[in-house]
Amino acid sequence: MFADAKRIRRNKTLDKIFRYLFLGMAVLSASFIVIIVLFIFLKGIAPFLPGYEYGQVDLISFLTGSVYRQDQATYGVGFIVINTLICSFLALLLSFPLSVLTALFIAKIAPKKLGAAMQSVIELLASVPSVVFGIFASGVITAIVRYLASMMGISTFGGSSLLAVIILLAIMIFPTLTSMSITAIKAVDPDLESASLALGATKTQTNFKVVLTAAKSGIFAGAILGLGRAFGEATAVSMVAGNKLFGPTIDLFDITRTLTSTILTGLKETTGLDYDIRFSVGLVLIAVIFVSNWILNQVKKRIGNQV
Amino acid sequence: MKKIFTLLVAVVMMITLTACQGTGGTTTEGTEGGTTSSTINVYTRDASSGTREAFEDAIGLGEDLTDAASEVSSNGDMATRVGQDPNGIGYVSLTTDFEANNVKPLSFEGVEASNETVLDGSYLMQRPFKYMTRASGDFESDDKEQLVAAFIAYITESTEGLTVVSEAGGIVDMTNARPWSEIAAEYPVLNNDNSGITIRTGGSTSVEKVVEAALQAFQPLAGNVQYAMSQSGSGDAQPRTLGDEKDGPNAVDIGFTSREFKDDEDVSGAMVQGEMCKDAVVIIVEANNAKTDITASEAYDIFSGAKTTFDAE
Repeated sequence: MFADAKRIRRNKTLDKIFRYLFLGMAVLSASFIVIIVLFIFLKGIAPFLPGYEYGQVDLISFLTGSVYRQDQATYGVGFIVINTLICSFLALLLSFPLSVLTALFIAKIAPKKLGAAMQSVIELLASVPSVVFGIFASGVITAIVRYLASMMGISTFGGSSLLAVIILLAIMIFPTLTSMSITAIKAVDPDLESASLALGATKTQTNFKVVLTAAKSGIFAGAILGLGRAFGEATAVSMVAGNKLFGPTIDLFDITRTLTSTILTGLKETTGLDYDIRFSVGLVLIAVIFVSNWILNQVKKRIGNQV
Repeated sequence: MKKIFTLLVAVVMMITLTACQGTGGTTTEGTEGGTTSSTINVYTRDASSGTREAFEDAIGLGEDLTDAASEVSSNGDMATRVGQDPNGIGYVSLTTDFEANNVKPLSFEGVEASNETVLDGSYLMQRPFKYMTRASGDFESDDKEQLVAAFIAYITESTEGLTVVSEAGGIVDMTNARPWSEIAAEYPVLNNDNSGITIRTGGSTSVEKVVEAALQAFQPLAGNVQYAMSQSGSGDAQPRTLGDEKDGPNAVDIGFTSREFKDDEDVSGAMVQGEMCKDAVVIIVEANNAKTDITASEAYDIFSGAKTTFDAE
């Protein structure tokens, strides 16, 4: 009896210790976000404050500007924000139908073994490092774009173009979108399908009208995640973007500039204002991601509620 | 769901339309006798690049670079892109492998770029990498002074040191080079364990690659001497070795510039000063481009956007 009580007490203290340990871990990891955002914020806001050591930058012209040139000390990111949005949303548009149909095939139509094999291929694609995608893009995608452009008689910067960025990003967000869609489709209640089939709907009608409708909330969550990756991708994008000095770019065969490629290009060699302003660009990127995620989440709620 | 879909379709159609409009302006101007004349695509390095600085100084571009230029991230990136673009023009350092990248170096003002034409001064798109040390007796210790002197002798006189500099991209004259073993005998300090001594370098950022390669090679030859590089710009070289910052927190032992010393930079007090090597920039076009030579004024016109097509030559 006595030994039992002792053991229970010991287990209780152990539980307590572990509870605080886990709490500590959670606080630590959460505080990283706060520290990072705070650091970027403090560094990024500095050039706009009076008394900045390299000469104060005008916030309004920074946010709305359509020229970004270090040599003239003209920093305007307005057009870069638009470019980033164009690249990411067009990539999503290209990738979305492909991913959803692939997911539908893997989850519902393909034989079990084939489906499992294809799913692992897609998961493998998700783990390819972005620099490898970048090399692929600057070797293969730019060649395709060059060929397309020469067929249409358009002169390009060696294939580096908005189109190349869109294709690259579409490929990069494809695995995220597909995996999320597969999960969402697999989670659809089989009773719903049986009911649909029993009512006389064909397999195809059921897949499109019942399964996809029931899974749309999860699929949309995948789209949000994919868009996040498209916004944040730096290495691969800067390898094919071409970094235009002004904008915005809407011509598919013209070069472009995204927020991430702006931060990355020449970062290692630069100092002074040109270095500090990259934190401001990072701040703008964080803001763009927050805002678009918030909007998409509102849309997702709307879609999720309709049946 | 349907509404959103319609909206998306509308957006896509709008973008496609505007894209068509945009491309209309840049279509090629037609072919004549098999040669296509199209708009020149100007490539440039990002503004922090030393090669860009040397190039823009040589043609007097200032801040007049055309907005239509594409920024690339490195020397190799530049060569790759111009090599893939029949209408491209860019500039790289002389050490670039032109053939492997399918690019053709243009002669500048009628002079072809090579080690010989750079060294005799006839090829004009070049700049010197120069060095200055602290004044004799102004080093932290005698040993350090000896080590700095030995290092300068290594990179300017020894066959081994000049080879290292040349491999890192500098253009050097090897005719008077002597074997290192001969020079090393003059500096007994090299035989000590020097791991407690740190040589500090400063000045131009463009020299960083060359100087770091040289210091790395020098380290095992000099009793494992340590080094610290804080390259911040040519303008800091003189103040931090001999001028008013020489006793401050940023003081260095050797300062480098990627240009000639200016009149207000007094280097007469330095223990040694002189030229480490030369750096040359070459304008490149795609290998099949008919162009072979370019003048400074033509380069200015192309890179400022005033001239947008290659002449038929």
